[in-house]
Amino acid sequence: MTFSTMLTTMSSGMLKTCSLFFLTLWFSLPIGMLVAFGRMAKNPVVRGAVKIYIAVMRGTPLMLQLIMWYFGPFYLFGWSIKGYRFPALLIGFSLNYAAYFAEIYRSGIESMPIGQYEAAEVLGYTKAQTFFRIILPQVVKRILPAVTNEVITLVKDTSLAFTIAYAEVFSLAKQIAASQTSFTPFVIAGVFYFAANYAVAFAMERVEKAFAYFR
Amino acid sequence: MKRFFAALLALSLCISLAACGGSPASSAAAPASSDDAGKTVFIQGFDLDYPPYSYLQNDGTVGGFDVEACQAVCDYLGWEYMARPFNWDVKDAELNSGSCDCIWSGFTVEGREDDYVWSIPYSNNTQLILVKEDSGINNLGDLAGKVVGVQTATSAFDLLQDEEGQKALCDTFASLEVFETYTIAFNDLKAGGIDAIAIDATAGGFLISGETGYKFLDEELGVETYAVGFRKGDEALRDQVNEALQALSANGTLQKIAEKEEYAEIREFLVL
Repeated sequence: MTFSTMLTTMSSGMLKTCSLFFLTLWFSLPIGMLVAFGRMAKNPVVRGAVKIYIAVMRGTPLMLQLIMWYFGPFYLFGWSIKGYRFPALLIGFSLNYAAYFAEIYRSGIESMPIGQYEAAEVLGYTKAQTFFRIILPQVVKRILPAVTNEVITLVKDTSLAFTIAYAEVFSLAKQIAASQTSFTPFVIAGVFYFAANYAVAFAMERVEKAFAYFR
Repeated sequence: MKRFFAALLALSLCISLAACGGSPASSAAAPASSDDAGKTVFIQGFDLDYPPYSYLQNDGTVGGFDVEACQAVCDYLGWEYMARPFNWDVKDAELNSGSCDCIWSGFTVEGREDDYVWSIPYSNNTQLILVKEDSGINNLGDLAGKVVGVQTATSAFDLLQDEEGQKALCDTFASLEVFETYTIAFNDLKAGGIDAIAIDATAGGFLISGETGYKFLDEELGVETYAVGFRKGDEALRDQVNEALQALSANGTLQKIAEKEEYAEIREFLVL
């Protein structure tokens, strides 16, 4: 196998990695917000349930969760799981990352001084207006570094998708390495991941700069 | 008191570092490496997820036909046996770095002839297609448009990718799903996520032992031979193991190991 064939094959895997990455972000960022609200809810039942959800999502390996999400419908209900591979991955990754994002959101929201809410009330803002116009922009600004951390971890965690036979880039690297008895594919995979994460870090830095309006 | 603890900590660090430094050096020099009693240590590298050749036994110990055969070789040569279960994906790095002396784990020779120094083959095998009995798949032609599963870095996978092998057949599949282990692939077959599995006769036989409703297609995908792979340049070591294998075959030890109930699938394929 020539070097260029290696690159083409692995690029196709990188494409699959990227599609999983972007779709996971697309779902988990908003779901995380809902979970964060649930975690801070006044209703103890909702709060308790969400606490358990977060505890399970953070407390068990993502690899195990993927296996559960994929094979669960068959072992629980006897359904055939044909064509369910990618949806199962999306559910598994999104719900797992939503739990982490929720805690990051909560840390940001709870760090807002009470004075902000009081001032908004005095100025006649409604609760929704207070949250979306005053609190949220400041929260986003504060939690960006933590979110960047999590997003970079997600890029690398996509390699877990191979647990249920998703042909992402690292699994292809391993296959080529085995068939060619070569170490090169691992190096290529390393470069691919690093490039992806460099792009993530770069983009997030730009976002941080855009939010740095008081400096 | 504080200082005493600091000193103790520093001392224990030094000792553990020294211990770490010592072991790889000695194993890299294998088979000349020896323990305190002057015995040669022989380290078998294998995949712990490849029944019936090497796998975790019911009692939680490492075992399998290949493990027992290697232990028998060590006993015969008076070596000390050591197991090194590793991640199959990095087997070459493990072997070349000296963390093990051989790869002995249902290891297929075909396609890898020039990559290792090989022992004499001890077993044959065939690659087959495993399907559900009620799937309506009765020959290789029926696989057109079906989803087929295979384990990564196995001979069955290589065969399906090989232009001179079964690449043409593979191209008729709707897709070839590559799994980390056959265990997950078999669950997927059970659950209906895939329609068939390409697998060695022995490994497949082990998977469906104790299960009902599965069958192999009669047509074979290919045949292969199993042998022990050594580092290039380790011909002397290989020759010693060869001699032991032949002796153990002549005195019936290997056949006796294969007599075990859980190795039933291997029995008919043994060539030594």
